[in-house]
Amino acid sequence: MTKLFERRLTPADSPIAIFCRTAAAFLAAMFITAFLFQLYGASPLQAYFALFHEPFATLRGFGYTLLRASPLALIALGTIVSWRSGFSYLGFEGCFVIGASAVSWLALSTSPGARIGPLPFFLFLIVAILFGFTAGGIWAALVGLIRARLSGNEVLISLMSNYVAIFFLQYLVSGPLRAPGSQPETKLLPRATWLPFILPGTRAHAGILIAIVAAGLVWMLLQKMPLGYELIVTGFNRSAARYAGIDVGRRLVLAAFFAGGLGGLAGMVEVLGSQHRLMDGISGGVGFVGIIVALLARLNPVAVIPTALLYGGMSVGADAMQRRASIPSSITFILQSLAVLLVLAIDALRYYKISIPIFSSAAPPAAEEGPK
Amino acid sequence: MSVPQFVLSAFVVAWLSASLRLAGPVLLAALGETFAEQSGVLNVGIEGTMLLGALAGFLACYYSGMVWIGVAVAIVVGVAVNLFLAWMYVTVRASQVVAGLVFNVLAIGVASTVYRLALGNSAAPESIAMFQPLHIPLLGNLPVVGPVLFGQTILFYLTLVLALLAHFVLYRTNFGLALRASGENPAAADSAGISVTRMRYVGTLISGAAAGMAGAYLVLAQVGLFRESIVSGQGFIALGIVIFGRWNPLKATLAAMVFGACDALQLSLQIFGTRVPSQLLLALPYVVTILAISGLFGGKAVQPAALMAPYVKD
Repeated sequence: MTKLFERRLTPADSPIAIFCRTAAAFLAAMFITAFLFQLYGASPLQAYFALFHEPFATLRGFGYTLLRASPLALIALGTIVSWRSGFSYLGFEGCFVIGASAVSWLALSTSPGARIGPLPFFLFLIVAILFGFTAGGIWAALVGLIRARLSGNEVLISLMSNYVAIFFLQYLVSGPLRAPGSQPETKLLPRATWLPFILPGTRAHAGILIAIVAAGLVWMLLQKMPLGYELIVTGFNRSAARYAGIDVGRRLVLAAFFAGGLGGLAGMVEVLGSQHRLMDGISGGVGFVGIIVALLARLNPVAVIPTALLYGGMSVGADAMQRRASIPSSITFILQSLAVLLVLAIDALRYYKISIPIFSSAAPPAAEEGPK
Repeated sequence: MSVPQFVLSAFVVAWLSASLRLAGPVLLAALGETFAEQSGVLNVGIEGTMLLGALAGFLACYYSGMVWIGVAVAIVVGVAVNLFLAWMYVTVRASQVVAGLVFNVLAIGVASTVYRLALGNSAAPESIAMFQPLHIPLLGNLPVVGPVLFGQTILFYLTLVLALLAHFVLYRTNFGLALRASGENPAAADSAGISVTRMRYVGTLISGAAAGMAGAYLVLAQVGLFRESIVSGQGFIALGIVIFGRWNPLKATLAAMVFGACDALQLSLQIFGTRVPSQLLLALPYVVTILAISGLFGGKAVQPAALMAPYVKD
């Protein structure tokens, strides 16, 4: 009799196997979350219909999906650059806030009569991208420096730096940049600095194009450029990299700079594209959900955009669900994180060949097992 | 212009007693985390565990009206969720940072969903019974020292006792030796007949119990109501305290006091009115943590050698 699980010598890591495992984990997470819907007295099928119909099957909803997906994708790309270089950076919440603050300050100073004065949009956009990228990049590179020079633990330091950045933002919007009014927020940014809307009748903006270009650049960096190769070697085996003549410390700081820069761009896209002003609580956990997106995309820049669309869309659907059926939107946090935890758990199966007795006599042994 | 004597002493008393009060929950979480890390597991999930413990403590106390039931339920919840985490860390051998971090997001979702499920979407937060500061006769009447040292809640003194107990268990018992061996050299521990898997499960569960109780501590002795931002990084600060305290419960106690003092300084300065923006003072404990664990003051060498490394038995 064949055993249900049989140990295999090499892990099943073909793209199909990876995709099947990820999909299976996601379905399992949906299955578990279905019980929560039941607790709220909602039929799980209807709830899932509500969760996915609005963001993917209505034009207005899809506009919001693109809007939410852009910062998620940029942060996920940042995660990929830093984690594949062996730098476990978790400070994207902070980079997001720092990038958003820097760009908001820039945009406010280009309002008529302010320090800089109006700029042509194209020039402004280039300056804003450089500004947001550099601000976020330096913020993360500081942690990279601590890691490279003092060998401090980047996991904890980057987590702490998030809070420092968030308090700095609170200081800005309740002090120097505060607009008159009861809310701690800045004035509306000048209309001329907003990212153009790209789908008529929706709030979708050019941020998603920036994210797609960034995904292409990150793919090029990691797959086609010598620098990317050095980063990945550093991530795989630091002493081998050092032995091969790679300046490991400098590569770490550089990876941190790129990662933080992408996080800063996410902040820029958020203020110039969707919020049009800087406010307290602007990040709302996007720095962590972005990391989750990168994990679900298996640190692969090409898979980031569809995964970000899925997660962005789920948050749009959740808001719709909360409005209509008063199911709290926080349920999606559960679904989103549970999916990744189950992906991690299911990955343990890649060392096993699964043969289900009913199929094993009919099917050829090697072709379709494993992926499960 | 000189500050009157009584204002100064009032400031010092308020500051020091707030320091100890704020140090309590983070110290408790850090003590548990010390066990996890000494066994070789970096449990980043204590942030989320604290949040779930806070919710469990709040709900249990809300329905039963008894603070100790709140503490007990929080501990049970902390252990239960960390059983899952331990399975991820030790059995599945997932990346500890990733699993812990994603678990924290899961905990936020669970906490806010369950809170609304239990209390409805009502806007007004419900308050509950709380631990009251003790009034120890005679000692409590001493100037300055009395209100600072002898006017805390019972949970604070319990935490100090647990710190002594943790130190004893880690360094004076066979169990502590086996635990530390699993984090220092799992292969050697294994060949000496120690089950590394069991030690790491136990270490993670101890950190879960402590973090759950720390969450209840926050709710039942400090805040008195539940909100989603109640933990906001204190679990991460506890991780920093473990490093700053060099994986030693007694040094962690001192480290927690330092962080409490930074946290309390901002409160006291706000009461007495300063021109420093409050947000910058609020960032102080986090900045101090970053500096403390940056490696400027050494520390890499004393970390358990197999921390974050899953153990595969050959």
